[in-house]
Amino acid sequence: MVTITVDGKEYSVDENKNLVDALKEVGIHIPTFCYHPKLSVAGLCRLCLIEIEGVPKLQIGCGTAVKDGMKIIVTSEKIIKAREAIMEFQLINHPLDCPVCDKAGECKLQDYSFSSGTSTTRYKENKRTTPEEEIGDNLLINHNRCIMCLRCVRFQKEILNDPRLERIHRGNQSMIGCISNGKDEGKKLIDHNYQGALSDLCPVGALLNKDMLYKSRVWWYDRTQSICHGCSSLCKITVDVKNNEVYRYMPPEDPYNNGYFICDQGRFSAEDFTKERLFSYAYKGINKKSPDVFSEIKNTWQNAQSIVFVGGTTESNESLEKIKEIIQSMIKTGKNVKWEYKTMQYMWESNWAEEVDFLMTSDKRPNSKKAREVIEGPFSNEKDFIAALKNADIIFSLNEFSAPYSYRINDENELSENILYKIFENENLWGKIINLTTHDNNASKKALASFPVKAMTEIENSFTDKKGEIKKTKISVRPPEGLRNTAEVLEYFINSVERQTAIA
Amino acid sequence: MGVVKVKQKYKWKWYEKFYFISISAGMLTTMKYFLKCAILRKQVTVQYPEEIRPLSSRFRGRHTLKRDNKGRERCTSCFCCMWVCPAQCIHIEAAKVPENEKENYPEDKYAKVFNIDTLRCIFCGLCEEACPKGAIYLDGGIPMPEDDRDDFLITKDILLEKEGGPIIGTRM
Ligand code: SF4
Ligand code: SF4
Ligand code: FES
Repeated sequence: MVTITVDGKEYSVDENKNLVDALKEVGIHIPTFCYHPKLSVAGLCRLCLIEIEGVPKLQIGCGTAVKDGMKIIVTSEKIIKAREAIMEFQLINHPLDCPVCDKAGECKLQDYSFSSGTSTTRYKENKRTTPEEEIGDNLLINHNRCIMCLRCVRFQKEILNDPRLERIHRGNQSMIGCISNGKDEGKKLIDHNYQGALSDLCPVGALLNKDMLYKSRVWWYDRTQSICHGCSSLCKITVDVKNNEVYRYMPPEDPYNNGYFICDQGRFSAEDFTKERLFSYAYKGINKKSPDVFSEIKNTWQNAQSIVFVGGTTESNESLEKIKEIIQSMIKTGKNVKWEYKTMQYMWESNWAEEVDFLMTSDKRPNSKKAREVIEGPFSNEKDFIAALKNADIIFSLNEFSAPYSYRINDENELSENILYKIFENENLWGKIINLTTHDNNASKKALASFPVKAMTEIENSFTDKKGEIKKTKISVRPPEGLRNTAEVLEYFINSVERQTAIA
Repeated sequence: MGVVKVKQKYKWKWYEKFYFISISAGMLTTMKYFLKCAILRKQVTVQYPEEIRPLSSRFRGRHTLKRDNKGRERCTSCFCCMWVCPAQCIHIEAAKVPENEKENYPEDKYAKVFNIDTLRCIFCGLCEEACPKGAIYLDGGIPMPEDDRDDFLITKDILLEKEGGPIIGTRM
């Protein structure tokens, strides 16, 4: 820690940082466009200008390291004038697009134009216009809005190591272009898993995701800090909800401590949580009241000797513990109960929580770490598992046929590709399956009985990530009254059947 | 606690007890208007709805959506009116303008669906104020009665009937 003087006041700051980051820690905000804490310093936008005593010209804050005894000024007349000039310059070619632009409301250019800019422009010439272009399978670029901060270019180069974006042409004509990255043949569109991160990174609305285009405006959202369901990394995220429907995931509120980027797989599959939900108990695909469904399957349940539970990798820690208790009490009554969590192909391999890149793991289930601790997983290979399924009298599927874990809503075929679905289909096991699920789909129609449960966005529980860290979800969507989570549904079922038998 | 008596029974004066005076005052007014209408032909009522009284230029009636001077829809589907509406009666679905219809819209975004539930609308005019494009105005006159609840839900083709003025921010 060293001491520097800012506007006559002394602060003690971290000497290993640049001025923008160091001052942010002590609560002084210097506006920036091109600087990003996770990317190299480019010094392109010049919005972060500050005055250093003893240096005749203004300096950029993002490119200046902290030195002991430094005396700087961040609010002088000179700086305000300089920022106004920079803002006017940035807005020369920028269209007045805000009513149309999806970034409006979270756009840095809007914010700084409001706080540091002037409200008029002196530019009389025609603005440069270039048509919108597709540069990725889920990414559009609106060249007119681009302010040439090159954050996207640096992200591709430095974080993804895939230099596919580059600034092309010069001066007023410069724009972002998709080029060959030297590895693949020719020039290819961006198809990686971080297209959402690219559009987040862009301080203006130049890079936008096609999936989210024009769906909503940012000021509609109710925001909750929670964790992502997409893989066992359990990244911290912000859930954006409108009208009690999940629209998107965004990076967390405090990215300095929680990571700046989230991947597309989690970000764009979140909307499935609130679509095509099952909110009723069902017997053979026909919706009924829960007592009716229970009395239909009462006999099968009471005569069942061998029971198999499948799944659990999507359940919260608390739910897993409770299901374990329920199973143990079942075993005490003399039933033969097995619980297997390995329901995806890769889970039968020995080391399956591998890292894919700087963020993601190949394991697509949120709580497989805890599931592996809690559930013994009695079967060592798929054959034994299938044999046990065939011999079972009743099979409980714990959230195994729910979107977005096993399939995406817009792709119904994906569900029939699911390996558990295929096993049930091939061995003709649907007649003894009790399907605890969040979604109304083919599986919930075919199963003997389907019980609705709460989705991950509707519970406040803890999950364990791949490193063993415990993270909490928050309730971001209000579930309908009376909806239970998986463990509660099981308990409710068992208790109700007992009560029904006692009365009869 | 002291009680303040606010209501006192009115005491009739002796001459007021004959209703005759009040009645003749009323009849005088009636006669005045009768003579005005029957002889001078200066009646104040009109044969609504065949005849409609001229409305104030600030009158807030049914909504209309405007076009610009090139015939393109002014609304760019920014959702500002939907957001500001206290009665939550505007429903918009935005979409990207299809390639072959680019000349009908000034921007890339347009309102695919634009519905207003006039039964919920309180005709406060906030949508008109919120619109940055001068696209929505409450200058469609007095809404007519309908037989069916569904007919009060007005859609884009009804709203767009009226061509807009040349200047943004001015009513036609
Ligand atoms: S597209 Fe966005 S991130 Fe890329 S240079 Fe332009 S403004 Fe910066
Ligand atoms: S007049 Fe008021 S209530 Fe009616 S649509 Fe406009 S904002 Fe909504
Ligand atoms: S943020 Fe420092 S030059 Fe852009």
